[in-house]
Amino acid sequence: MSASLFRPIATTLIRSVFLWATLCALAIGSIQAAYSYIHVQDRFELAVREIGQTNVPLLSVSIWDIEPEAIRRQLEVIAARPEIGYVSLTVTTGQTFSAGDKGLTNDRPRHFDIPPPGRPVGVIGNLEIFENPAAFYRELIYTLGVASLGYGVLTLLICTLIAYLLKRDLERPLRRVAQFASELTPNRLTIPLELARSPGHGRDEIDLVVEGFSVLQSGINSHIANLDEQVAQRTAELESALAAIHRLSTIDPLTGCFNRRLFNERIQEELDRAIRYQRALAVIFCDIDHFKRINDTCGHLLGDQVLQEAAECFRRELRGHIDWVARYGGEEFVIVLPETSLPAAIATAERLRLALTESMATLLPGLTVTASFGVTQHVPGETVQELLQRADNLLYAAKAAGRNQTLPRL
Amino acid sequence: MKRLAGLLALLLFVFPSLVWAMSVAFINPGKSDEAYWLTATKAMEAAAKDLDIRFEVFYAERQHPRVFELARQIVARPVADRPDYVVITNDYATGPELLRLFDAAGIKTFLAYSGISEPVERAVTGQPREHFKGWLGSLEPRAQEAGYLTAKALIQQGRRAQAQAADGRLHFLAISGDRSTPASNRRGEGMRRAVAEAGDVVLEQEIFSGWNRAKAVEQSEWLFQRYPLARLVWAGNDQMAFGAMQVWEKRGGKPGKDAWFSAVNASPEAMAALKSGRLAALAGGHFICGAWALVMLYDYDHGRDFAEAEGVEVNQSMFTLFSQKDADRFMVRFGQLHFDQVNFRRFSKALNPKLKRYDFNFRQLLD
Repeated sequence: MSASLFRPIATTLIRSVFLWATLCALAIGSIQAAYSYIHVQDRFELAVREIGQTNVPLLSVSIWDIEPEAIRRQLEVIAARPEIGYVSLTVTTGQTFSAGDKGLTNDRPRHFDIPPPGRPVGVIGNLEIFENPAAFYRELIYTLGVASLGYGVLTLLICTLIAYLLKRDLERPLRRVAQFASELTPNRLTIPLELARSPGHGRDEIDLVVEGFSVLQSGINSHIANLDEQVAQRTAELESALAAIHRLSTIDPLTGCFNRRLFNERIQEELDRAIRYQRALAVIFCDIDHFKRINDTCGHLLGDQVLQEAAECFRRELRGHIDWVARYGGEEFVIVLPETSLPAAIATAERLRLALTESMATLLPGLTVTASFGVTQHVPGETVQELLQRADNLLYAAKAAGRNQTLPRL
Repeated sequence: MKRLAGLLALLLFVFPSLVWAMSVAFINPGKSDEAYWLTATKAMEAAAKDLDIRFEVFYAERQHPRVFELARQIVARPVADRPDYVVITNDYATGPELLRLFDAAGIKTFLAYSGISEPVERAVTGQPREHFKGWLGSLEPRAQEAGYLTAKALIQQGRRAQAQAADGRLHFLAISGDRSTPASNRRGEGMRRAVAEAGDVVLEQEIFSGWNRAKAVEQSEWLFQRYPLARLVWAGNDQMAFGAMQVWEKRGGKPGKDAWFSAVNASPEAMAALKSGRLAALAGGHFICGAWALVMLYDYDHGRDFAEAEGVEVNQSMFTLFSQKDADRFMVRFGQLHFDQVNFRRFSKALNPKLKRYDFNFRQLLD
């Protein structure tokens, strides 16, 4: 994992900038050194020549006027110059003067003939100037030192400035972006990325990244919103499908009445409610008389019509939302009458019997269709099965007693 | 008032010299043991004694900035103790500043030995009694005469001794004093005039030895090497001549035999050298200038202002070319620096009303 060690981009950049700047400074410094060497040498030679030339007229006057003290002083002044190591003067009349360090005479001296003052011809003295090599190297070192120091300070300053700018303009914003990205969770998706940039900077790559983030965030946001919508749509579809399935599973397709399955669920609920509120509950069993014969003689289509008409008739005659009808078997219906006592239920059953016979007569002229009814009221402590069994037994008894009647009678 | 006047009259009667004696101070630029300037002082003291002048002298010991120090000391005195007149010189161009110092203090001044001659100095000082009211005037010996007389005598000596080189000309060296003292330049001028008049003389070079014997010794060595043909050596004073002679002797020569030297200054040593023949020519006597200055100040103080007949800046012939006989006479009379035998009152216009013009030549003191 050492390869993935974290190394700040600013540090890497600064390192390479510093390395290259130092290399450049060294390269330029070397050129400068070579140039300085030649330059200092020239300057040094010029200085020595100048010293000689400027002193020749003065010495000429001093020698001519025979002022040994002045000559000595002048030589001291010449020798005091850092460029000069040793200076000696020989007068044509034999006198010699010298000043400076006698140990510096190994070098080749510069000769200056001293003419008499005001006359360019003739020689009254000879001046020999020996350079001071130490001064030459001192000046060279000084020149190089100043240049190196200058380059060093410049390089350091530039690197420091770059480091500062990198940290301020690159490292900090990038770190902030990285932090923002790592903390980006679905619930923080709407918070925009904001960077504290120095005022007055132009739009740059960092801004592009920030804008990219903003585009990304809004894209994700709209994608999520789209997903919600799709889920709502699918849920609605599912609900309607479920509703269809429910209807299919509870409604008898032929008659539109509840089927036996739903009846089994609901009758228990009705019973529980009646017990809880101590209300009356009546159940009517109904069976179409001789339905098999109708089917056989008139065809199944008519049989189905009969069943549909019976269901329609019951719905017409009953209290909507309170009373309800289920197809219990082939031609057998069960009618549940909440809040209804036995006499009212028997009356209802009688009304249904008469209405059925009448509506069948209009539907099928020439054919008499009747039905038998068994009516009972729930007795406290009785189960659904016992209640239904009693009603069924009463229907059976009505059938046995000649059909087209309601049992018990009022 | 009457009693006060009476007391004053009594005082005048009892201490006439104390009350009436004029007082003069002299700032001597030379050394107190230097022959020339000591002689000058002695002559002045004798003149002061003759003329009842209270006289005091201060030596700058040849350190010319010291003259200003001395001047300030005089100015700093209480008014009663200040001298009536101060005699100063213009050696090394110190005159204008001295004039300014004394004039500011209200002390009267008189320039002796060397006056104002350079235009630069003149611009500062103006004429006497103009800008500096207390500057009464000046008395100078005609310095050209010294140079001229000695150079001419030296050339004549060279001709007599047939000291000409192979080119038939007399090769001549000059050792002057300094470049800034007018008296030095004048002597040089006189010397050059004599050389120009001679026609057969080559002035090889004029050097400046600062009136100093040791420096003349040092420079002469070069000079004799540089000009091996030179046989005549002119010097601006006696000390420099002696220095050159010393070198010549060291080189194996004999002054007065194979080379000839001239000098200026009436010093006993120079007189002796003249007598022995080592010096070919000697001029002097101008040391008396200070004594003459006292005579002029005396006359001024006693109502005979020299400005009337002589002008304020007086240039008088004082130098005498000494013969060997003159040398003897000088040594006898003044060898001990006693000038008491000279009666300086004789030269005063105030004391000799018939005297119309001053005669300050030294020769009259010898004859």
